[in-house]
Amino acid sequence: MYLIPEHKQVPFAGCTTAPVSEQRMMITGNWRTYRPVINREECNLCLSCVAYCPDACWQLNEAGDEVVWNAEYCKGCLICVNECTHGALSKAHELDFEDGVVRLDKPF
Amino acid sequence: MSKVHEITVWTSGVVKDKEGRDVANGLALAGSKEGKFVQAFDNYVDLPDRVNVPVRKYARISDTEIEMRYEYENHQPEVVVLVTDAIVKGMNVLRGMQKGGVLVVNTPRKPEQILKFVPNKDVLKAVVCVDADGIAGLRTVDFSGSEGGIDTTKLGAGVAAPLLGALAKATGLVKLESLEQVVANKAALKGGYEQAVIHKLN
Amino acid sequence: MAKEVMISGCAASAQAAKAAKVEVICSYPIRPYTAVMMELAKLVANGELDAEFIHGEGEHAQLSVVYGASACGARTFTGSSGVGVTYAYEVYSPIAGARLPVQMMIADRTLDPPGDFGSEHTDAFCVRDMGWIMGWAEEPQEAFDNHLINYRVGEDPRIYLPQFVCQDGYFVSHIPGKVVLPDQSQVDEFLPPLKMDHRLDPKKPISHGPQIRPDQGDALELARAMAMNEVPKVAKEAIDDFARIFGRKYSPFVEEYMLDDADLAIFIQGAHAATARAAIQKLRKQGVKIGMAKLRFVRPWPTEAVAEALSKVKAVAVVETQTSYGGATRGGGLMFEVCTSLYDVPKRPLVTSFMAGLGGEVVKVEDFEYMAKHLTKAIQDGKVCKKVHWIGFEPD
Repeated sequence: MYLIPEHKQVPFAGCTTAPVSEQRMMITGNWRTYRPVINREECNLCLSCVAYCPDACWQLNEAGDEVVWNAEYCKGCLICVNECTHGALSKAHELDFEDGVVRLDKPF
Repeated sequence: MSKVHEITVWTSGVVKDKEGRDVANGLALAGSKEGKFVQAFDNYVDLPDRVNVPVRKYARISDTEIEMRYEYENHQPEVVVLVTDAIVKGMNVLRGMQKGGVLVVNTPRKPEQILKFVPNKDVLKAVVCVDADGIAGLRTVDFSGSEGGIDTTKLGAGVAAPLLGALAKATGLVKLESLEQVVANKAALKGGYEQAVIHKLN
Repeated sequence: MAKEVMISGCAASAQAAKAAKVEVICSYPIRPYTAVMMELAKLVANGELDAEFIHGEGEHAQLSVVYGASACGARTFTGSSGVGVTYAYEVYSPIAGARLPVQMMIADRTLDPPGDFGSEHTDAFCVRDMGWIMGWAEEPQEAFDNHLINYRVGEDPRIYLPQFVCQDGYFVSHIPGKVVLPDQSQVDEFLPPLKMDHRLDPKKPISHGPQIRPDQGDALELARAMAMNEVPKVAKEAIDDFARIFGRKYSPFVEEYMLDDADLAIFIQGAHAATARAAIQKLRKQGVKIGMAKLRFVRPWPTEAVAEALSKVKAVAVVETQTSYGGATRGGGLMFEVCTSLYDVPKRPLVTSFMAGLGGEVVKVEDFEYMAKHLTKAIQDGKVCKKVHWIGFEPD
């Protein structure tokens, strides 16, 4: 009697799968104007950036010898640059980098 | 029924929300001074209360009454204005644009540097770069006009003015004289008009 | 001095409340009507409106506050959207039964689940039996005017009923349109100050809402029904006076657009009537004899005006932008009352309904053309192919 076209399909009762460690339906890397840049020689792994990042975009890697930056979700708030205890983090304009292109079609 | 010219303005939530709104409202007001039929409204789903989230404002200009007034977005923008240049990496800003469109960007960088990040540039006839931050020197922040409210601060006191000037120069959608009647910072408007770098393609 | 501005429906509602010199406002934020309260807060803060601006702790509190304020004789204003309207449900009937002319602005929003800001009329529709006057606006100018007209009608000593002044969320509430803001002297002439002899007054103590027995209840309900019966006459007087003072002539209940020589009619209320107009002009150029009957008041339902307008045509498309799940047609709520209005008409038109704009989805000119196509086919076949069409989900 009625047909729901492909592009209008919706999940049952409007429920979506819940995010566990990340929310793939809300990529926020496209909010950045500036990004944090790390000088590995100055970094002493105090992990302040890991602690202060509101979006958990700095994480200590498996080996425990480097902090890793998440380009997909970092919003460029620069709190980590502000909180870095050794001046290892500085800001740079996003357009200076060819990587980290998100280019979403729709905001969500 | 004449063509409806659609202009989409991308800006950053909260800190540059008013500036984006000023570009759309300034364009619409200038158009109405010229006797055109206009609409200017914010995108509804963008939720601009989040700092730095990419949000859209729309303006539509036509020589005759606009038939389809109740739309959620501009589906075929002729002109796209970026108040925040980095949005060119973050969103597919030229989505829906037909051939012969114009991209206006608030940036001190050169058009070639912006074009590096635009894969679908064959729809463009021009990229315009204007250092609106440098020309206007300030950005206005005003929350009173969001959510369908009425702005309490002047239109075009900040970076919207040079962007409007650059837009007028590159597209001719409205005349500089009409914009001068509605924009507060006329010097910045003129500055944007004169200092806009227009790079023609295709 | 009257002046013309480009403002959204929310800003227009705020300006109307200011022009009406409301005395008590109770606010609580919910998108999309929030902008009205943001604008009113600005007006009260900078002294342009001398009113008590109270923050409610929820929509139930909002209605309770204006209930109390109106009971003391103050001109009140509140508003809500979507699930906010339903949160305050308990208080609607007491306010209407107490004959208090509270005014509530509703900027429509789809009811949950899930969280959809888009406009659907269900939020207001589900409270239409509470005994309030209710009507829709198509654009910001009409929203502004409806606020003033509703105060005038609701506060009339022959009426004393509360009013819902509704507009589609986003389409009317957020997209700016041309509004002529009148001179205050015009508003003062149209809208006299509120006088209520039945207000709470220490010199004449009364009790509201005492406990009664069931055998006393039916007479009270009859009195409430009779109150609604007086509205059409008063509304017509108000509309005529409005036209005289402000120069804008509205049809009181049903606006007939290109209906006199039409075979097909679109029956519609709210924002999408504006798009319907454009579609009808386009279809007329193609030789389709189509018109529109736009409903301005849902309560009281203008039975005779609807019957008169729709009996001119051979087929009617009722555009439903709300839902009545499980209802007789399994579609929307307007159908029931349209069919009832037409029941005794000797030559009834064919009637079918189209679910359009649900969830706040855009209704395009092509959608009205689709409706016209089905109406034309129905006339040829002598019957409608089905009672409910869902625009965008039809197999053809």
